Amino acid sequence: MNSLLWARVSLLAFCVLGFFTPDFAHAKKLRWGGDSEGGAPYILQDPANPERTIGFEVDLVAALAKELGIEPEFVQNQWDGLIPGLKRGNYDVVVNGLEITDDRRAEVSFSDPYFVTYEQITVRKENFDIHSLADLRGKIVGTLKYALAERILEQQGGIEIRGYDSQTTIYEDLANGRLDAVLLDQPIAVYYGNPDKRLKSVGKPVGQMQYGMAIRKEDKALLGLVNAAIAKLTLEGKLREIYDRWGIWTPMLADYFNDPSPSRPAVEYDAYIKAMGIERGWKEKLQQYASYLPLLGKGAIVTLELSALGMFFAVLVGLFIALVRLYAPAPLGLFATAYVEVIRGTPLLIQLFFIFYGLPNIGIKLSPMVAAVFGLALNYSAYEAEVYRAGLLSVPKSQLEAALSLGMGRLQALRHVIIPQATRVVLPPMTNDFISLLKDSSLVSVITMVELTKVYGQLASTYYDYFGIGLLTAAMYFVIGLPFVRLSRWAEKYFSKGRAGIL
Amino acid sequence: MIGTWLLVDLSAKRTGMKPLISVKELKKSYHGHDVLKGVDLDVASGATTVVIGRSGCGKSTLLRCLNGLESFDSGSITVAGATIEITEKKHRKSERNFQKNAKKIRSNLGMVFQSFNLFPHLTLLENMIKAPMVVKNISRAEAEQNAEALLKKVGLSQCLGRYPSQLSGGQQQRGAIARALAMSPRVILYDEPTSALDPWLVDEVFQVMKDLDAEGMTQVVVTHELRFAREVADEVVFIEDGEIVEIGKAEQIFSQPRDERTRQYLGRFL
Repeated sequence: MNSLLWARVSLLAFCVLGFFTPDFAHAKKLRWGGDSEGGAPYILQDPANPERTIGFEVDLVAALAKELGIEPEFVQNQWDGLIPGLKRGNYDVVVNGLEITDDRRAEVSFSDPYFVTYEQITVRKENFDIHSLADLRGKIVGTLKYALAERILEQQGGIEIRGYDSQTTIYEDLANGRLDAVLLDQPIAVYYGNPDKRLKSVGKPVGQMQYGMAIRKEDKALLGLVNAAIAKLTLEGKLREIYDRWGIWTPMLADYFNDPSPSRPAVEYDAYIKAMGIERGWKEKLQQYASYLPLLGKGAIVTLELSALGMFFAVLVGLFIALVRLYAPAPLGLFATAYVEVIRGTPLLIQLFFIFYGLPNIGIKLSPMVAAVFGLALNYSAYEAEVYRAGLLSVPKSQLEAALSLGMGRLQALRHVIIPQATRVVLPPMTNDFISLLKDSSLVSVITMVELTKVYGQLASTYYDYFGIGLLTAAMYFVIGLPFVRLSRWAEKYFSKGRAGIL
Repeated sequence: MIGTWLLVDLSAKRTGMKPLISVKELKKSYHGHDVLKGVDLDVASGATTVVIGRSGCGKSTLLRCLNGLESFDSGSITVAGATIEITEKKHRKSERNFQKNAKKIRSNLGMVFQSFNLFPHLTLLENMIKAPMVVKNISRAEAEQNAEALLKKVGLSQCLGRYPSQLSGGQQQRGAIARALAMSPRVILYDEPTSALDPWLVDEVFQVMKDLDAEGMTQVVVTHELRFAREVADEVVFIEDGEIVEIGKAEQIFSQPRDERTRQYLGRFL
């Protein structure tokens, strides 16, 4: 076996030299994509220091990058968008529990497996009926959406499947009795199921799946380098060392890597369990919440930036569209109407996906921030246009006639007479829209932006705490919105001059 | 129609001046209904012309056509040398020309509306200075000085800082007249200026118009107030069914109307 592996390594090294492209040679960093909300033990925020990202895949990439002689750079991306993000060029390799499947192979190349695992059944302590996949018939079983486990359950048939977005809540629901069992990848069961005293893992391993690193099909050179490095890390025992430290070495892995030696202490696992299991008094709890504030604050600033910029452009474009719709000649007016109907009639989420992942197909590649602002501004401009149209129409036509008869041109009349009066009318709905945009900005996490809601997801999934951190996040949204509500109230008063008694 | 022409010629001769406003063959129809059926009218400089007629006879439309607030189908309007002429109906280019010429014509015309149409978001003083500053680029100080003088003239010196909603109807209409004057027009058009006013407020507005007449301002007034027509008008124009039926000196129209339809309209007033 060993000699075979060596042969593979040298062959690969040879191939790699041949394929070595200057492009990659000059790249100083190994940009790799993953979702830190995915949780332990893959990629997670360090419970002891939430500003640090840890996980066995973080260690793995660090070792890999060292092997390649470059620095690793982590790029956060929603898990179900990892492959589109890779194809789009946000990063060069995906390392995040991505199972090697045929439909994924059609999209990207996979490295040799770096990890082999299986699905684990977990039940409540007091349950003694469930021992195998077959026993799950007629039961309510939780798993992750789009995961291989979901497909296995579907194939089994007769099982009521509940698909979740995040593993932290699945085991909680199992313990609470909402689910009868959970079927998930073994490392997840080790980290989220086993530590819970109310739960236990049962039965034999279900299925087998292999995690591979996804790389763009055209990056053959990189694929060669990565495969060579994985082989080398395997041979030198470094891979095994990482898995040992994280406590996820299994007989199945021992078989696959042909390494029967006994495991060493799972230091990372112990540290994780210790950090999670600390019973905290209210004082320590407060301290802990305070320690989340810098991260949440950073997220809040991104949210605020996004929303303010998005609204600014939405207002400009919306006003323009409303004016065109009301005052421009027919063909332009029709275009404006079509714009409003199409933009307003399609979901923001689809628009964001289209802008971020679709437009690169025609050569327009926007950064996440620009794409996010563009998407929000585009979507909200349609709503703003209608608000402004209503506002402009609320000013009697006789006001325009009075302005024209005083010698003003149409634009002068709009600027000095019509718009100031319309402003008073549109301020309340505009404030509504801004608050709504502030909250809708959470959708941009699908295009890799890490804003307030994403930070919430990361922290909550790390600490199992959707309640306290949830309240903290909600409060932050509220606080961000508050000054704008105040500002709008003041502006409303300002623009209502001469209307005493009407407000 | 020929009769009308003669009368118009006579009126121009009588004042001995070139007319300040000249309307020729003005026609307009709306949804197949002829609102104006070829109106010819000259207004002499310095005269106050009062246009009377039943509601819906076309007198307001005539006034709105005069300053380009409403388009027409054919004919021409000349005000102080600037002309809007329409020969072909609904031509894209003529529409653009219309707007351009309408603006030119408006520079010599002030307009006073039935519902005052002061700008509600501005104080009376701001209402007065907005157009001079925006259209004529006059400095704020100069515009304010001018506005204060005009407001004094219409008796509103105490109301400079008030918003329209804080003024009575009569005060608003006097303010609207002052606002029109602030652009130094050569003619002021009034579209039923007292119809929206309580009866006891009508006279204060008419007084301002009388004063202006005495100063030699050219005015065209569409109104139902026959008393005002008799007292102030140099000429009275009676319109019925989109046509000018009779034009004449006030005393002539009110004592010996030539046309049976005029006689009928004036009825008890004769």
